[in-house]
Amino acid sequence: MEYLLHVLILICIYAVLTVSLDLLAGHMGILSVAHAAFYGLGAYTSALTAVYLGVPFLGGILVGMGIAALVSFVVSLPSIRLHDDYFIIATFGFQIILFSIFNNWIDLTRGPLGIPGIPEPVIFGWTIRSHRDFLILATIFAVFAHLIVGCIVRSPFGRVLRAIREDEVFAQALGKNTLRFKVTSFMVSAALAASAGSLYAHYITYIDPTSFTVMESILVISMVIIGGAGRLWGPLIGAAVLVTLPEILRFVGLPSSIAANIRQIFYGALLVIIMIVRPRGLVGRYGFGE
Amino acid sequence: MQILANALVSAAGYLLVGVGFSLIYTSTRFFHFAHGIVLTAGAYVTFILKVWSGFPLSISIFGGIIASTLLGIGMEWNIYRPLRRRNASPTILLLASLGIYAALQALISLTFGSGTKTFRSGVVPTGLLITGIRVTGPQIAIIVISGACCLVVWLLLRYIRVGKMIRAVACDPDLAEVFGLNRDYIIRVVFLIGSALAGIAGVLLTYDADMTPMMGFRVLLMGMVAVIIGGIGEIPGIALGALLLGLAQHLTAWWFSSRWQDAIVFVILILFLLVRPQGFLGKPLRKTAI
Repeated sequence: MEYLLHVLILICIYAVLTVSLDLLAGHMGILSVAHAAFYGLGAYTSALTAVYLGVPFLGGILVGMGIAALVSFVVSLPSIRLHDDYFIIATFGFQIILFSIFNNWIDLTRGPLGIPGIPEPVIFGWTIRSHRDFLILATIFAVFAHLIVGCIVRSPFGRVLRAIREDEVFAQALGKNTLRFKVTSFMVSAALAASAGSLYAHYITYIDPTSFTVMESILVISMVIIGGAGRLWGPLIGAAVLVTLPEILRFVGLPSSIAANIRQIFYGALLVIIMIVRPRGLVGRYGFGE
Repeated sequence: MQILANALVSAAGYLLVGVGFSLIYTSTRFFHFAHGIVLTAGAYVTFILKVWSGFPLSISIFGGIIASTLLGIGMEWNIYRPLRRRNASPTILLLASLGIYAALQALISLTFGSGTKTFRSGVVPTGLLITGIRVTGPQIAIIVISGACCLVVWLLLRYIRVGKMIRAVACDPDLAEVFGLNRDYIIRVVFLIGSALAGIAGVLLTYDADMTPMMGFRVLLMGMVAVIIGGIGEIPGIALGALLLGLAQHLTAWWFSSRWQDAIVFVILILFLLVRPQGFLGKPLRKTAI
């Protein structure tokens, strides 16, 4: 039972990541490979402020989201004007720079040793200890992220995002400041990813840089695309499928190192197959210029 | 001077990968991320032949390069060509190549473990002292072979019929087709040359140091940055870019610490994207294709 709750909590954390990435990928049509970096930024901010400064859970999350939004603003300045492939390369660059910082700024992040002993979250006197309580918290986060993204994409703001996706020059011709729309949604997306990171740090109580690599970014992209980009339920389905799968492999009796590799083979192959057979994913609306 | 020599060795590796990557990019217009695994595969096949099967070194190296070439052409034939047939966008091709990369890298990790491997035997050579600079035999081989290969490709593109056809397709695929060039055939030739170069790079780099399943990706990213800052499709530009990266990396290692070698590359990339997105020698880019 504990185990089932654990899997559900992971699905909720990944759901926050995928829904926030989908705001960029599915609704605005730009792919960012830096999502794991913002996820890590949230996790590290929360962990550091909680362990060294004793900042409470909600405070740490807000600081993390704020820093992620700020960093994403700085990141977007040079990169958001770039088109398609070049934007992907630029975000690749930021992913690797931020990973280098997690891994190499040893005075601050303890490098590959990671940060242990992150305290359990306390919200207004409610101490979250059991898996059951954590699942409730994680579900609140997932629903919250879902609602935010849902509100954005249904609003006039979201319509402009879709206009940018379909034809950016046309959106500009209608007098929309597309740059502002792109930067804003990039910041929202990064802040939501950071909140998932904080949640992860407090749940696992230990973080190290290996959780925030380029491959993690590619995993989140795969979840969005396999589930279906541009539709609120798509990323959720993708997260559920790709989180559950390696757990099933563990049941078959494979050690977790092998299961991790098999999961990577599986999502890599699935990504290729989906691209060939159905670029818009299982339930998606947008197929990347299909 | 020692730094210059080391920079030259690194640059030679990036140059080989960069030239192959750039050839493939100019003919197909998408970022072929799986190029990284082509390189890794060459190194590991050499390892299988030399260490597991006990073939002599020369045959193993030859086998490794052939295997890389076949892998590259296989990807083009089985995955990219069908995708192009249905007019897939560059983003879809890029995602598919990320999927291939993720799957094959995990496959290699699964088979060989994620630790380092080497196919060298005996003691590590201490290297020769040439006017006070210490270089090993393999390092000289890297510089000479990489330079020679790129010169051959450059001459081929300029003076040989197939090379001119490749440039025609890169310049304007539709017009080239009107003149009766078979685009699929040209792309196959390009994948053949590019993958062979990646295989050579893989074997040479592991002859100098060790191999890990992640090695290809790192070298590919560096090669890619060299291509972008040098100017896509311009071999002398790529050589300049690779040299700049090599120098920057080794100077960083000398002044600060080797830990920041990867980050500095992407800082350079982002500076270039801001100031001169077409690179040293590239032609100005069109902002959008309308």
